[in-house]
Amino acid sequence: MRRARIAHEGRAQWAEVVEDGLVLALPGGVRIAAKDAKWLAPVTPGASVFALGLNYADHSAELGFKTIETPLVFLKGPNAFTGHDSVSPRPADANQMHPECELVAVIGRPARRVSRADALGYVAGYTIANDYAIREYLENYYRPNLRVKNRDATTPLGPWIVDAADVGDPQALALSTKVNGVEVQHGSTKDMVFDVAGLVEYLSDFMTLMPGDMILTGTPHGVHFVSHGDEVVCEIEKVGRLVNHIQAEP
Amino acid sequence: MIAGAAYGVALNDRNLLSSHQQAFAEAPYKAPPKAPVLYIKTRNCLTTGGAPVLTDLKAVQAAATIGVLFARDLTRASPGEVRAAIGAVCLALDVSEPSDSYYRPAIRQQCRDGFLPLGALTALPSTFEDIVTQIDGKEVHRWSLDRLVRPLETAASEISAFMTLQAGDLLLLGLAADAPTAQPGQTVTVSSRGLPVLTTAIVPEAGR
Repeated sequence: MRRARIAHEGRAQWAEVVEDGLVLALPGGVRIAAKDAKWLAPVTPGASVFALGLNYADHSAELGFKTIETPLVFLKGPNAFTGHDSVSPRPADANQMHPECELVAVIGRPARRVSRADALGYVAGYTIANDYAIREYLENYYRPNLRVKNRDATTPLGPWIVDAADVGDPQALALSTKVNGVEVQHGSTKDMVFDVAGLVEYLSDFMTLMPGDMILTGTPHGVHFVSHGDEVVCEIEKVGRLVNHIQAEP
Repeated sequence: MIAGAAYGVALNDRNLLSSHQQAFAEAPYKAPPKAPVLYIKTRNCLTTGGAPVLTDLKAVQAAATIGVLFARDLTRASPGEVRAAIGAVCLALDVSEPSDSYYRPAIRQQCRDGFLPLGALTALPSTFEDIVTQIDGKEVHRWSLDRLVRPLETAASEISAFMTLQAGDLLLLGLAADAPTAQPGQTVTVSSRGLPVLTTAIVPEAGR
């Protein structure tokens, strides 16, 4: 099953994606065409949203870092998210703003001190994030700092959450980013330094993960700077295709 | 109510910046911080009503501060516009595993369950008084928010230049460089004249 969060009749609602993604079925029997949907990021309000830095060795090398030995985890606030087919603002001085296609694991039940072997049993589903970074704003304090990674509407997320059972092995998925139709990122989740099971084990070792919490698992190599008007499409095999548009900040 | 995120302003104590002046000029920092540095306390950290802090650590940093709750969104605001966006304030005990590294986000140190006990929310006072920490009834720390590099109005304004502080978000104003440590078995009380007192016990967590 695929579940989308949309704005419909004045409120946020969860809908089931049916008929090859063409139709959204709302509770109570209402059906709307997917092309008319106002997509929201499928994030449970209050959820803890973790993101990974340098979690693909090829991306680390590209940025001049050695392969990490412990997960480089940072956090995101609710202001950062926006839905499928939305707009992300690009500040006038952000010449180094680049997309990052990431597999997102969604936690399904409370997880505390979960073993690696059991970890995937705590993952309810998967979605896609495009976790934009703006490199001009990097500083070496709690890096990547929030000025780089927690700007309003710079983390498109969605379009929907796919049940884990429909995805199967989360470490065997091709992922890519296209800007105006040209591929700028291509990789496979098999190349993660810390895989989904390892990340659930790591985080749940010191805190309780709750249903709805999300882990953005990092991005492969391919740093491409975007401009006003660009259409950016992040695609992950068996999960979906997340579209976003870059708009110059007024 | 606190419906959004809990952000904290890091490196906001003048004493910390002066004691780390040399270190922050060197690797891995290479330059002193320019924009406000923030950290996030995840939802699992937040407790109210005097819930105990359970931990398997030998000691925790117990940093008393003040949190402000936004009642309106604050985006690209001037310092003069900040106070009108704040709906309430509370005392907060920002608990963490002691660490003197600021290079990478310190999620493991800062985001454990129950590591942000909060006092009751009350109206924003005209000025903040000294924040006093007692352990087992004895005063161990006292500090004034006059030490902040960026006081409330400046911090919120500069943060709002790059992200919206949303209605429902909590902003912790800063941590004292010399915040005390507390050990399991001890009780920590935070007070500041005019604000509801916060008391929490540090309790050993059952072993694995």
